[in-house]
Amino acid sequence: MLNVGRCFAQTSNDTLVKDPLEEIVITATRTERKLGNIAIPVTLISQKQLKQTGALRLNEILQEQTGLFLSAGTGSNAVGGGIFGNGIQMQGLSPDYTLLLLDGEPLIGRQGGVMDLSRFAIGNIKKIEIVKGPSSSLYGSEAMAGVVNIITEDPKDNHIKASIRYGSFQTLDAVVNGAIGGKKTNLFYFFNRNSSNGYELDSKTPEKTLDPYRNYTGQIKFKHQFSDRTKLSLNLRYFGGKQESFYAINSPVINIGGNGITRDLNINPVLTHRISEKVNSSLRLYGSVYEYNQSLDSLKNNIAYYDDRFRQQFWRAENQTDIKLHASHLLTVGAGHTVQLVNTTRYRETKRQDLSYVFVQSDYKFSQKLNLISGARYDHNTDFRSRFSPKLALHWKYSNKLSFQFSYGAGFKAPDFRQLYLNFINNAAQGYTIYGASEFSVQALEQQKSQGLILQILPAAYQITQLNPEISQGWNGGFRYHHQNGLLVEGNLFYNRVRDLINYLPVAVQSNGTYVFSYVNQKKAFTYGGEWNVQVPLKKGFSVFAGYQLLFTGDSEVRTQIREGKIFGRDIPGGAARLMSLSDYGGLLNRSRHQANLRFFYELPSKGFSANLRFIYRSRWGVTDLDGNGFANMDKEYAKGFVQVNIAATKQIKKQVEVQAGINNLMNYFDPVNLPNIPGRQYFLTIHFSFHH
Amino acid sequence: MKRLSIISFAAVVLLFASCKKDNAPAVVEQKDFLVNGNPTGGNFNFFSFSQGKEVPLSDSASNKWDFAMRFEKIIVNNGVSGPGQAGAQVINTPFDLITEAPSAGYKYDTTASQLAVKGADWYSYNAQTRTFSPVAGRTFVFRTATGKYAKLEILSADPTDNNGNPVVAPTRPTKIKYKIRVAYQADGSRSLTPQ
Repeated sequence: MLNVGRCFAQTSNDTLVKDPLEEIVITATRTERKLGNIAIPVTLISQKQLKQTGALRLNEILQEQTGLFLSAGTGSNAVGGGIFGNGIQMQGLSPDYTLLLLDGEPLIGRQGGVMDLSRFAIGNIKKIEIVKGPSSSLYGSEAMAGVVNIITEDPKDNHIKASIRYGSFQTLDAVVNGAIGGKKTNLFYFFNRNSSNGYELDSKTPEKTLDPYRNYTGQIKFKHQFSDRTKLSLNLRYFGGKQESFYAINSPVINIGGNGITRDLNINPVLTHRISEKVNSSLRLYGSVYEYNQSLDSLKNNIAYYDDRFRQQFWRAENQTDIKLHASHLLTVGAGHTVQLVNTTRYRETKRQDLSYVFVQSDYKFSQKLNLISGARYDHNTDFRSRFSPKLALHWKYSNKLSFQFSYGAGFKAPDFRQLYLNFINNAAQGYTIYGASEFSVQALEQQKSQGLILQILPAAYQITQLNPEISQGWNGGFRYHHQNGLLVEGNLFYNRVRDLINYLPVAVQSNGTYVFSYVNQKKAFTYGGEWNVQVPLKKGFSVFAGYQLLFTGDSEVRTQIREGKIFGRDIPGGAARLMSLSDYGGLLNRSRHQANLRFFYELPSKGFSANLRFIYRSRWGVTDLDGNGFANMDKEYAKGFVQVNIAATKQIKKQVEVQAGINNLMNYFDPVNLPNIPGRQYFLTIHFSFHH
Repeated sequence: MKRLSIISFAAVVLLFASCKKDNAPAVVEQKDFLVNGNPTGGNFNFFSFSQGKEVPLSDSASNKWDFAMRFEKIIVNNGVSGPGQAGAQVINTPFDLITEAPSAGYKYDTTASQLAVKGADWYSYNAQTRTFSPVAGRTFVFRTATGKYAKLEILSADPTDNNGNPVVAPTRPTKIKYKIRVAYQADGSRSLTPQ
């Protein structure tokens, strides 16, 4: 994570002059810090970049960042999973292990571990901060690979803005937002309607690759200043989405259809009070409700075919207090309590989890050149083992131009609800049964065996105990070189060691010959690599950004078995088996060894014109295992690498009117099997209106 | 003429001599074996090593088959499954490197839930794609229904329709097409040296 502070911060017209490292970020330490002075790898995506690229949804902008991969959800083609399982992979860890925050509060509503990023509109975002490396010392569960914090607009500068976009696949996107208020009370509001007719990448299948959808997002942020010392903010956000789904099941034509409805609500009042010159305290309350209901019917006779309901609630109260012990020592302490409730058709009853935590962080400057951040967090909860997560980060300013960063952190991810509470018999697919670890007991299996429902209890059944959180340790070390002329070079090496990964395994054989599955902590994995970013301001309004990530991943146990000569593989499907060597081992599936991006920006402020051309490259990645050895080794087990090219241009035509046009995926790259979430070439045209008063 | 018969006599002697030293090589053949793709019901498909092909269902109560498959389930002609004396074991060694069948270690279909071959012995199941793939390097060594020896490698397993044409999800396959490699030793010895 060497890119400590990759800044594409083009926040003003004089980008080339302004120092991006002066930007303030908050996510890495939960306190305001200059990007250039931070010991932890942070990437900042500015509003200007969001605007210039013309991105509409969060997944579109994140996939252009170095080291972030967009992956299709595991169930992308299966009933019950949306194609929009658009999660991001960070430092080679799956989407499950990146914490997503909205104005500092955790987002909920993952399906199969993946948070669908297309749920989040871009139009109300002020900036996005991406922190890489384990950050559980501040944020607790899920912050294993890192944290993405979506920071929404502040209510200031009274204005009204509106925009409307029309694009390929009948994509229609309308935004209205604005701010009103005076000295003490301010309000920001945002409304977005986003719809598309979906698209088809593979005409051989009767189903469309993506069926039509329609999304609504609304947000209101209210701020009131009681005094110089006391401020209140209230943030409300609502998302409602309808995704149509049509399937041809055991039929050559579409015969099953229906809707998936997603609703997502966030409420976040925050009271901030400056107790003294040296002590700041904030009380944060947060509630979020996420609902997903999918019902599919037979189109012939309207008989219900599939019905799946999921409802999750998250409630939290938290205090954070920052104490300036002296000019060079800032102490942050915090504590909170979280209640989560989940109810679905796949659990026996409503499940409740309680979690309490405390965290502390010391930010100490030995000198102008040396800064040490140390911290830890303790999470105690009802359903799985408690967790202590430390962090240590060092920033050394060698000179005005060159600095070095090193950090170590621990991360964890609590067992998710399905791993604990799933109680599911799949009658559609061969009748297997899955029990979450809390729902599972050997006694129940033995009882079922005596009733003849179970033929055999496997030895693995006796290993199932209380689940532990999945845990990781991460090391990051990097440098940042920033020349007065604007050249910025950043590099970061990272190493993550992950243990106790939760895996499902068969625990019994049922009388119909299918398995009963449950979950255990079992696997170990590692990821390591490097990330480099260069920002070159050229003359006359041109600037270039380049980024590259090199990534190695693997399962430590598989590597050991390969070394011991126990693993074989084939070079072509159905070919003869041969002994595998470490050079055949493709690492964890879904990981690309190389990822790179190259982005050119041009600005001509005097004419109100800007344009950009962006290339995103990803090398091949393993997608499947055809020879039963559990990893990708033959060419056929890989998806082909690709280059995606995006282009956009904006021109101000009147004082209040701007027009933007662009083409995403200019080269029309698509792969319906492995990346159904990337549509083919798309054209778009947007008109922006803005009124200040 | 005389010279010729001497030569052919010598050849016959040599041939016999070599037979005594080394057994006849096992003939390696590659086949497609299309089996019932219903995991829970319907008939098995029966295979005979000595005939080198599938045999009809009507032979299922005889010694004319050695192993049978339905979906991913394998039974052997022994115990609860048939009247023969077939047994099997799965070894983590590539097919070509097995030159002799082990003298012991064969398993039998003792009860309906204790079969000679378990799924975990030879394939890995992918719950996400709901497909299974034969693990490379796993070789079955069989004792046949009549007490001879054979080895088998499952090269691939593909879901197909009734005619053996591949199908993809969500269409349900009705058959599984196995591509297999077999070597059968007809002389009763354990030698499995390929031809």
